[in-house]
Amino acid sequence: MLKKISTYQFAALDLQLFLDTHPHDRKTLEKMKEYKALAQPLIAEYEEKFGPLTKSMTSSNHWHWIMGPWPWENEEDC
Amino acid sequence: MFVYEKKLQYPVNIKQTNPKLAKIIITQYGGPDGELGASLRYLSQRFTMPLPELKGTLTDIGTEELGHLEMIGAIVYQLTKGLTEKEIKEAGFEDYFVDHTTGIYPQSAAGTPYTAASMQVKGDAITDLHENMAAEQKARSTYDNILRFCDDYDVKDAIRFLREREVVHYQRFGENLRLLTDKLDEKNFYAFNPEFDKKCFKNCMKKK
Repeated sequence: MLKKISTYQFAALDLQLFLDTHPHDRKTLEKMKEYKALAQPLIAEYEEKFGPLTKSMTSSNHWHWIMGPWPWENEEDC
Repeated sequence: MFVYEKKLQYPVNIKQTNPKLAKIIITQYGGPDGELGASLRYLSQRFTMPLPELKGTLTDIGTEELGHLEMIGAIVYQLTKGLTEKEIKEAGFEDYFVDHTTGIYPQSAAGTPYTAASMQVKGDAITDLHENMAAEQKARSTYDNILRFCDDYDVKDAIRFLREREVVHYQRFGENLRLLTDKLDEKNFYAFNPEFDKKCFKNCMKKK
């Protein structure tokens, strides 16, 4: 699931870099928005299940931010 | 302002430790053509850049490089996790180990600590953009060299992703350079420094 989020976010990020040098390319702008929109519901679902991706998410009573796994850890670490 | 996202840009999941390989890959953490230098270079150069496209590109690529720094740190961490003294000795990892144990320290493959002397902020957009295009190629060569010594698929996969990003960034910096020179006096791009001599832009010259 995180892989799917990352894939959409990466697609959006790569198009954003392209837009930096082609700011008037409306087709790319639309495509970028499309990928961002695809990631949005997945991010909400992921954060609900596995904890926050950014500190702006504070829906629960607990401070889940500090809980592992951290991005550099793989399965064996937890 | 920066906000941390608790995920890697591209997944790193290495199952087999390899301290010998870690000692080579650490160079992309703090070596002369590494991700730390790349990030610092772009995020520092952007303040005096003359065009909105250039400020945007440097901000975004500089930020992405911080994500790459994190990926390299994760690779080195996973390659050196849970080592025994015997494994350290056999891999020739003792020299790194005595100074940093298995901590992640910004240094080159040969052990030189990170130095800002390997990067430049010249305050001239033409010069800096050329430096950045060269920097992306140098990092690409370094990744090519790392791949020569990699036979673990998990490591190769992440390194290949990072290598590909160098190529994309090179492309964007090339476009930056073209956007800039399009706005300068085509008879002599080098007559002025576009970050210091504001009058060098075509439309300004016409007004005078």
